[in-house]
Amino acid sequence: MAQESTEIARGLRRRDPDLLDRLIEQYQHRLLRYLVYLTGRRELAEDLFQETWIRVLERGHQFNDKYAFSTWLFAVARNLAIDAMRRKQPSSLDGLMNNNDDDDAPFDVPAIAHASAFDLTLQREQGEHIAAGMQHLPAEYREALVLRFQEGMSLEEIATVARVPLGTVKSRIYRGLSALEPWLRGAPL
Amino acid sequence: MKPTNNDAHERARQLIALAGPEAVSADRLSSNAWLAAHLEGCASCRAFAANSVDAIHALRAIPIAAGRALVSTTQLRVRHRALELQRQRERLWLVAVCCVAVALSALVSTFVLWRGFEWIAARAHLASSVWQVAFLVFCVMPTLITAMLLLAKDNQLPPHTDSYRG
Repeated sequence: MAQESTEIARGLRRRDPDLLDRLIEQYQHRLLRYLVYLTGRRELAEDLFQETWIRVLERGHQFNDKYAFSTWLFAVARNLAIDAMRRKQPSSLDGLMNNNDDDDAPFDVPAIAHASAFDLTLQREQGEHIAAGMQHLPAEYREALVLRFQEGMSLEEIATVARVPLGTVKSRIYRGLSALEPWLRGAPL
Repeated sequence: MKPTNNDAHERARQLIALAGPEAVSADRLSSNAWLAAHLEGCASCRAFAANSVDAIHALRAIPIAAGRALVSTTQLRVRHRALELQRQRERLWLVAVCCVAVALSALVSTFVLWRGFEWIAARAHLASSVWQVAFLVFCVMPTLITAMLLLAKDNQLPPHTDSYRG
């Protein structure tokens, strides 16, 4: 991994467009997913997705190859998301919470293949509940849950991305999961 | 202080939340004997564990994928910006080279002029303070003349307010 990070750092310093093309392909889903969960709005997330890669190009020389590229990438995306929300509503990440008034649900729950009709219905229902629950969680909890359970980041990496102490990360994951639990049991949709 | 029952539940739930669904599975629980023992005797924490596992699996099952159009637009924008930055860098490089060339030529011409003034002063038997002041005036003269011309030009222009009067 260190070798890969070094190569990426070298390419970013050169502003190698081919490397950036590859990175965009490689991290497209992960980055968009993170931004969608962070902002709660697909449209804004897509704008930020593009801005993030432009920022990666411009500030690529700041990437420290001691860290994983994804950690830095998510930190860049997070800063842009906060800036975007501050422009709209002067507050911190908490401000992201108040943007669920859009009609379009950002989390699309698809049909799952290779399962019985009952399982499909159950899984789809669970997915819908969780998606709805996620939208009602504070943004910082959503972020912690996504980075931990979707991105598989270590607690230390999450602390680096979110720029908070390790204890805060642990508490956010615990509280986030606890807050999500009632939704899984079929809390109000 | 003896831990209360609530503390034990809190601790168990924190361990479950931080460990993730893989670690809560039966075969992995053996690595945390305390948690395994607690779960065996606590139905609510067992339910929490099961719900957490389901929640995490459901969370992972929600696919949010970037569309092809978004990716290609981003790649295009990044390439465009990279080109812009490269051009900007080339322009800066050109400006820097010009600055260095101007500085060097100013240095060389100052040195040659200094020597020239010195030589003329020696031939004309002038005091060094005289030719040095003359050199200074010679150097400052272009700037002074340009400033005076610009000031004169400004004074000759009609005031702006006049041009808008009907």
